[in-house]
Amino acid sequence: MIEVKNLSKVFPDGTQALSGVSVSIPQGDFVAIIGLSGAGKSTFLRTLNRLVEPTSGEIRVGGVEVTRLSRRELQAFRRRVGFIFQQFNLVQRLTVLENVLHGRLGYLPTWKGLLGLYREEDTALALEQIRRVGLQGKERARADQLSGGQQQRVAIARALAQEPELILADEPMASLDPRLSDVILGILKEYNQEKGVTVLVNIHVLELARRYARRVLAFNRGQLVFDGPVEDLTPEVERRVYAGNLEAL
Amino acid sequence: MSLVLFLLGAFLAGLLGLGRGSVRRYLVAGALGVLVVTPAFPLVGAVGYLSRETLGPTLLALLPFAPQLALVPLGGLLALALAHFGGRPAGLGGLLGGGLGFLALLTFLQGPAHLVRLKPVPGLMEGAVGLLALLPFLVLAFSQRKRTWLWLPLGLALALGSFLWLNSPQGHTYFPRMEGYYQLVLPAEPGAEEVLVAAYNQGLEDLNRVRQEIGLPPLKPIQDLSGLGEGRLPQEVAQAGYRLLQPQALGYGAVALLLFLGVMAGAGLWLLRNPGLLEAGDLRSGLVLAGVALSVFPAFDATEFDLGKLVKGWPFLVNFLDRAWPPNLAQPASGIYPLQSVASEMLLTVEIALVGTLLAALFALPTSFLAARNLTSKNPVLRLLFYLMRGFYNVDRGVDTLILALILVAAVGLGPFAGVLAMAIHSIADLGKLYSEAIENVDKGPIEALESVGASGSNVLRWAILPQVLPLFVSYTLYRFEINFRVSIVLGLVGAGGIGFFIKGAMDAGHYDQMVIGIIAIVLVVNLIDFASSWLRSRLV
Repeated sequence: MIEVKNLSKVFPDGTQALSGVSVSIPQGDFVAIIGLSGAGKSTFLRTLNRLVEPTSGEIRVGGVEVTRLSRRELQAFRRRVGFIFQQFNLVQRLTVLENVLHGRLGYLPTWKGLLGLYREEDTALALEQIRRVGLQGKERARADQLSGGQQQRVAIARALAQEPELILADEPMASLDPRLSDVILGILKEYNQEKGVTVLVNIHVLELARRYARRVLAFNRGQLVFDGPVEDLTPEVERRVYAGNLEAL
Repeated sequence: MSLVLFLLGAFLAGLLGLGRGSVRRYLVAGALGVLVVTPAFPLVGAVGYLSRETLGPTLLALLPFAPQLALVPLGGLLALALAHFGGRPAGLGGLLGGGLGFLALLTFLQGPAHLVRLKPVPGLMEGAVGLLALLPFLVLAFSQRKRTWLWLPLGLALALGSFLWLNSPQGHTYFPRMEGYYQLVLPAEPGAEEVLVAAYNQGLEDLNRVRQEIGLPPLKPIQDLSGLGEGRLPQEVAQAGYRLLQPQALGYGAVALLLFLGVMAGAGLWLLRNPGLLEAGDLRSGLVLAGVALSVFPAFDATEFDLGKLVKGWPFLVNFLDRAWPPNLAQPASGIYPLQSVASEMLLTVEIALVGTLLAALFALPTSFLAARNLTSKNPVLRLLFYLMRGFYNVDRGVDTLILALILVAAVGLGPFAGVLAMAIHSIADLGKLYSEAIENVDKGPIEALESVGASGSNVLRWAILPQVLPLFVSYTLYRFEINFRVSIVLGLVGAGGIGFFIKGAMDAGHYDQMVIGIIAIVLVVNLIDFASSWLRSRLV
């Protein structure tokens, strides 16, 4: 599903966020990405749909050479990749349904999108996703009237409404009450098992990674320091992942 | 008069000292003020034959004629130098400098009128302008640690260049008043005054005969120049470069000097009694205070500020109010219905503001997206459009609605259409700038989210940015409508119709009792619209 070779990213200020990352992830996997903040987890996830442009390296997702896509092709590619943000990134003044329908914009001609002329099956799909994340009855509520946990579920519904082949979640629980983590990860896990969709989640709580993921990628200072099944995540490996990184905090 | 001004300055310093803050800064400000006034502000008046020959020599220019005046700037220097030592020495300096300077000035100002000879100093004004051009470069050079050497030669070159150009024949063609602007005042040759008095008394007989024929009272012979007929010199004497110096005619420089000297003396007295009233940054704050005071004096003089005129005109005001009340609401017998006119014209004024604001909003909406920095950073064509748009806004903001209206009245004729166009054109820039700033401040999260679902650029604009900025846009537009309503009142005065037009018409015709209805209506509607608009805006955001 995902083939990454020698991926590097240097930011304009000189920060080496990723250096020489190579990894291969099969279809339907549930992968947790761990590491301290500043280790490159977020940048890695964002390069996969080019929210961040990689400096060098190759990325193949579902047979598509992501780094070579033109603007238009990139839009067509992105509609099949759901991205969930730490800060939800909802449009606060729009309703839950409108926010979830945004997941369908990539499938509409531009002019229909501008006018909000969604097809009937788009609306049906959006309503189904709202039900899936447990927000039925809230369709007409404005996003800024919801609690943080509810907002993140709207954001997940938006990603699911894209009918994605791949879901990238960038610390989806970090801004929420820890007790909501199970709800969020539960929805993602369920979708992963039901549709066989590949899921990559950035997590900084190791215990959650152990509970939900089949596989773990660990980053330290932009380098991939561990890649393997979750059972191999021994205390010795943990020390290596979190070693020498205190100044990055 | 002189003593009153001096005491007023001292009293001011005393009042300021009551706050127990630093008094020394007022002393420094006074001394600096004296030093600037000396070469720059006109001290007293000097008349010739024509009114354009009247001039106001500065204290510096008067020095060859009245050397005792040198005590004034010297007193300022003394006070400034002693202020550095703080406490009692500073107080003594202020008291001495202020007091001595005042006495020297007073003896001069109390003196009689004199005949003086002018001697132009070429290049002085031109040099002063050159130095002024150097000033910003000096600030740049000495306020920054790096690249000091780069600014100095640049500033020197500019200063020298502007001096040479201004002092050349070409410069004098463009700025004719600058040539020989600064003139020294020298005493006239001994005996010249007596010659003038004798000549005047001799010609008096002929003059009085003429005056008698046209029914004017005869003039008496004079003893000295103070009584010279209507205070003017004979034409040929004035043309020969002589002026009649009148120390009693205080220029604003004299007023400023007296006040500054009074402040110096008063602050000095305070410091002698309370040597502790000083702070570390006194020189700097004194500089700022002196700068503010110095810019105010010429401004009052230039605007011909004169409370006496108001006192003189008071009866006219009372008369106006008498004739304006009670308001003439309607006179069916003569077919005049002012209240009806006010209502109709007021409606027109509101409508001008509505259309003008709406048109401006329609144009500002699309252009503001091009004028937003964050939306135009990705490609060079958009960047160019951004600069073009911002440039247009800046120029447009500089041209006021009224000026546009004057031009457009010439193009499309008198009437509300010209006003609406002018208002729309000017408001585009104001609204566009506000809109684009709102766009620049949007939350970037939703933009990223919409990009990540594969939405096209225009859809990102529509669904991520527009919902965020639309309430702000509406709020800014309402606010602009408030302003435009008040602008539209004044637009009527230049012929764009509406309540302003009604008021101007009533005023010109002397129908004050109709005009007052318009004024009352304006007060009511302005407040009503402001209230309604701010209530709406508070509900929006």
